[in-house]
Amino acid sequence: MTAVSAFLVPGSPLHLLRPDNPPWRPIVAGFERAARALAMSRPDAVLLYSTQWIAVLDALWQARPRLTGAHVDENWHDYGDMAFDIRVDTDLAEACVNAVKAAGISSKSVDYDQFPIDSGTIVATRLLDPDGRFPLVMAANNLYHDAATTMRMAEIATATARAQNKKVAVVGVGGLSGTVFREPIAIEEDRIAAEEDDTWNRRILRLLEKGETGRLDAEVENYAREARVDMGFKHFAWIRGAIGGRIFGARVHGYGPAHGAGAAVIEFRL
Amino acid sequence: MANGEIVAGFLAPHPPHLVYGENPPQNEPKSEGGWEPLRWAYERARKSLDELQPDVLLVHSPHWITQVGHHFLGVRHLSGKSVDPIFPNLFRYTFELEVDVELAEACCEKAAQRGLTAMMMRNPKFRVDYGTITTLHMIRPQWDIPIVGISANNSPYYLTTEEGLDEMDTLGKATREAIEETGRRAVLLASNTLCHWHFHEEPDTPEDMSREHPQSYDGYKWDMRMIELLRQGKTAEVFRLLPQFIDEAFAEVKSGAFTWMFAAMGYPELPGELHGYGTVIGTGNAVMEWNLVKAGLAGAAAAPPSAAGDRAAYAGAMR
Repeated sequence: MTAVSAFLVPGSPLHLLRPDNPPWRPIVAGFERAARALAMSRPDAVLLYSTQWIAVLDALWQARPRLTGAHVDENWHDYGDMAFDIRVDTDLAEACVNAVKAAGISSKSVDYDQFPIDSGTIVATRLLDPDGRFPLVMAANNLYHDAATTMRMAEIATATARAQNKKVAVVGVGGLSGTVFREPIAIEEDRIAAEEDDTWNRRILRLLEKGETGRLDAEVENYAREARVDMGFKHFAWIRGAIGGRIFGARVHGYGPAHGAGAAVIEFRL
Repeated sequence: MANGEIVAGFLAPHPPHLVYGENPPQNEPKSEGGWEPLRWAYERARKSLDELQPDVLLVHSPHWITQVGHHFLGVRHLSGKSVDPIFPNLFRYTFELEVDVELAEACCEKAAQRGLTAMMMRNPKFRVDYGTITTLHMIRPQWDIPIVGISANNSPYYLTTEEGLDEMDTLGKATREAIEETGRRAVLLASNTLCHWHFHEEPDTPEDMSREHPQSYDGYKWDMRMIELLRQGKTAEVFRLLPQFIDEAFAEVKSGAFTWMFAAMGYPELPGELHGYGTVIGTGNAVMEWNLVKAGLAGAAAAPPSAAGDRAAYAGAMR
């Protein structure tokens, strides 16, 4: 298998910008453990899909060799800005565009100065790879793509990496349950906003830990709908597509809230 | 100073294609034109805006989406390069704008007093969304009038459409109070498309108008029905139909700008002036104006000489 490690991580800026807030510590600590695992897997590139990079035409792939700047989140602007310095494996990105296009999914690369990099991508790269050791291949979340299309894209991206003789880490960036607090809260009292969401999240995390692919197949759709999961849990579909579909188990490095929504740092067993 | 007023509201959609088609110096990509009927519609709207001589333009944009409350730009000077994440091939625009922070703060305070969660955006590195910038460029390319930028809280999507639009109604009423109490002569800009069914692939030459048409005939018919009602001034009927229009035409007015603007104007049963209609990648876009001065619902058509003088000075400072 080309994938040497795989992670599902949250993309909320809160964990990056206020890492010492007690309710957010489990996620930050989880990122620290995942970062060590990522480094040990020594990938040639990271295939990253963030639910917050939205596309509506085509499947978009980032193809600018280096992206630098400081981003202010649309929601959490009062928490400060997030500097980023991201390298892109442009050979692999362009090859992914062509391969995905050849599979019948309209696909394009983007290579523009000051293209807006989404918060999720920045959070994930800052916390998973703080030294910027590994180049990325970044795919957008086309709102009209379903889970099957997302899986197919990841599968093609992994195969394309294999054709270039590259080992890849796979990262899906997105949240779990989506019920949020709609008013400001005392952040030191943050928690999963709805008890039913918490129950759902924990159930899915247990199934992931145990590698119960069949039960996940049966439950993910309900989970996504009933717990208002971030973008229908397509970031999970990205990981599944990249690692061959079957889940062999996972380690939950951290679970907690992001202003009421669910968040987890998960490392998949390969 | 009290006794401010809203002098007009415009439905002012924000497809970046219109900026691309116009080829202003601020935008990097260059085109052979395209979407002329809509751009000419904006030319007429610009002329009307010029005559209104407002102190401030308030814009509510669906591309600044916030989850916790309604946010207001609160930094006096914002600048940068705005690259549209969806159409980066068309829109890479260098902007510089001035915010009427005093009015923004008043809007925020009034919204909070009415029970909404409302907050100011104070971060000077904030990236202004392309919807705000496109609407403002198309209505006033000189950038010589201060603005108030308002986010689209996601309540119509997170809650029900009706609950969300109720919030926008409250936001509109709060906006009106703030304008009146700060003494501004204000124009409102609802940055919304109508039918939002769109193509999923872009032509190789985006401005090839032989490829442009409504994506959905049903959506087009909905647009014509709503525009005709608006032209007749049947505002109550428009708002009775709005949830159905949103559902069946996937209308972008769901995001709240249209309701915010009409609530602020007091839902006048006033015929709107259609400056033009056209499609952009299949979506329906109307540039429309409700001129409260011409209708006798707001003060004199021309601003006092002092206001014009202030604006000339302001434009000079901007240069």
